[in-house]
Amino acid sequence: MAKVLIPTPLRQFTGKQDAVSAPGTTVGEVLTALTSQYPDLKKQIFTDEGKLRSFVNVYLNDEDIRYLSKDATAAKEADTISLVPSIAGGSTVTAPPETAELTKDEILRYSRHLIIPEVGVEGQQKLKAAKVLLVGAGGLGAPLGLYLAAAGIGKIGIVDFDVVDFTNLQRQVIHSTNDVGRKKIDSAAEKMVGINPNLKIVKHETALSSENALDILKDYDLVVDGTDNFPTRYLVNDACVLLGKPNVYGSIFRFEGQATIFAYEGGPCYRCLYPEPPPPGLVPSCAEGGVLGILPGTVGLIQATETVKLILGIGEPLVGRLLLYDALGMRFRELKLRKNPECPVCGEHPTITKLIDYHQFCGVPNPNAAAPAQETKVNEGEIEVTEVKAMLDRGDKFVLIDVREPHEYQICKIPAAKLIPLGEVPRRLHELDKDADIVIHCKSGMRSAKACGILKQAGFQHVRNMKGGILAWSDRVDPSVPKY
Amino acid sequence: MIQIEPEPWAAMIAHARKTYPNECCGAMLGSADDGTKLVRVAMPLENAFAGAQAARYELRPEDLLAADKAARERKMDLIGIYHSHPDCDAYFSTTDLKNSCPWYSFVVLSIQKGEFHHANSWLPNFEQTEAAKEELIY
Repeated sequence: MAKVLIPTPLRQFTGKQDAVSAPGTTVGEVLTALTSQYPDLKKQIFTDEGKLRSFVNVYLNDEDIRYLSKDATAAKEADTISLVPSIAGGSTVTAPPETAELTKDEILRYSRHLIIPEVGVEGQQKLKAAKVLLVGAGGLGAPLGLYLAAAGIGKIGIVDFDVVDFTNLQRQVIHSTNDVGRKKIDSAAEKMVGINPNLKIVKHETALSSENALDILKDYDLVVDGTDNFPTRYLVNDACVLLGKPNVYGSIFRFEGQATIFAYEGGPCYRCLYPEPPPPGLVPSCAEGGVLGILPGTVGLIQATETVKLILGIGEPLVGRLLLYDALGMRFRELKLRKNPECPVCGEHPTITKLIDYHQFCGVPNPNAAAPAQETKVNEGEIEVTEVKAMLDRGDKFVLIDVREPHEYQICKIPAAKLIPLGEVPRRLHELDKDADIVIHCKSGMRSAKACGILKQAGFQHVRNMKGGILAWSDRVDPSVPKY
Repeated sequence: MIQIEPEPWAAMIAHARKTYPNECCGAMLGSADDGTKLVRVAMPLENAFAGAQAARYELRPEDLLAADKAARERKMDLIGIYHSHPDCDAYFSTTDLKNSCPWYSFVVLSIQKGEFHHANSWLPNFEQTEAAKEELIY
């Protein structure tokens, strides 16, 4: 038997009594007896699994039972048991900014910010003192770079090693037609400084890797992820968690986008959402699956908004919420994200305490590793585009199969080819002769390699993959075939 | 609804200004009847967070126990917790939420450049995933 002091808000469950005596020889027994006497109290103190709620500490007189014998702590008649919540918190915005005075020109430039009470001179100074790292100067990086530069962020680092290509121009509005062939990092930096000459840009012309990531990220207040591949996404996430820097995340596919903030103190990280990467090839990239050119504009600007809010410390950050954007339905939805206590990198007992090999983790080859002399060597089961052309010219008896999608076939085709989209291959095998000489092609050679595998497994004897796909055909056989 | 009397309100603001640019924290004692909470005494407590306190606070359970005891002795109740957000809005942050408790009102004071700016009161849920805004009168 012991007396349990009831906290004010719980007295509604105990008939307004501020203390209740309950039988039992241990603290655990007393609490069990108490909650069976007042069943409504149970939910307040215990979880559905019968464990003490995480915020409840139990004190016997003046001592926490965790440091006594926990549930088994002996409780006597004269003892008092108290339920004490553990309480903490904090604003946890990035470290307090250095003050950066605004010049007369800057006051004029940012006047529309300065007259918003939530920003004001002080907020603009925070932006000026802020250091933001953009990973990628592509689809998401384009609107991010332009608007963050205009907003008055003091220092922006850009990580990119790519070159502007014609296929980028449909969405990467930071680059113009004249920039095709230039380094994206140079093209982007030029536009950003053009908008705001006060901006300091740091160029990291490299692929972010496990070797350099921590060193690059450590100098920034927060990181904005504008990458398009899983290895870099996991890398950015883990590096942000290890360094304690918020990761403003966005991703895009066709008509749909996602955005959230990961690795914000107390919030979930990318691995809490996706502990494991998808199987290689399952989720197509923009190059494989396509993307509405405007989409990265919308998603990138959501990331830019969250970035500015985090720096200013205003509003409600997009933490613990995954924002889903559907451009076709023109709808936004929100999913709740929880921090996973078992998360291997940000959980209670992390097993990942340093950066790992992310290409291996995602099961994809590292494109930056010294590439084997693939250009010149024809692997077994492969055939060069020029050889296919020669076979056609000679009138050799063989079947050419195009495994791309019908809408790609409309863009360009090799007239002799028979269209069987990859997804239909398994059920259309009967259309093909097992002993025939078969050559398969797609856009660049990836899907046709899969199709070759399917045919070989089904017992086809003479199957070859046209190396480099229709892109190589355009380069080396027929330049009138458009590339896409 | 939670109403804070002028005296404890002044004490809370003074406490938050004094600890600026760090966060302050404390307990609110008073009475709670039929959905109306009245704060009559503010009890400043020590911010026990071990690291930088500009954006973090932590209450020692012992201090909270003492606050509860003090309330009982004065025939009052412990009805809420207050803390400050220096140079930051009075929202209920993820950190606040994760370390909260559904039993109490959580008053957050926004202190901007060392001066009181605005305040909100929050009621966290059991799962510590959401906090509802509570009407605050001061």
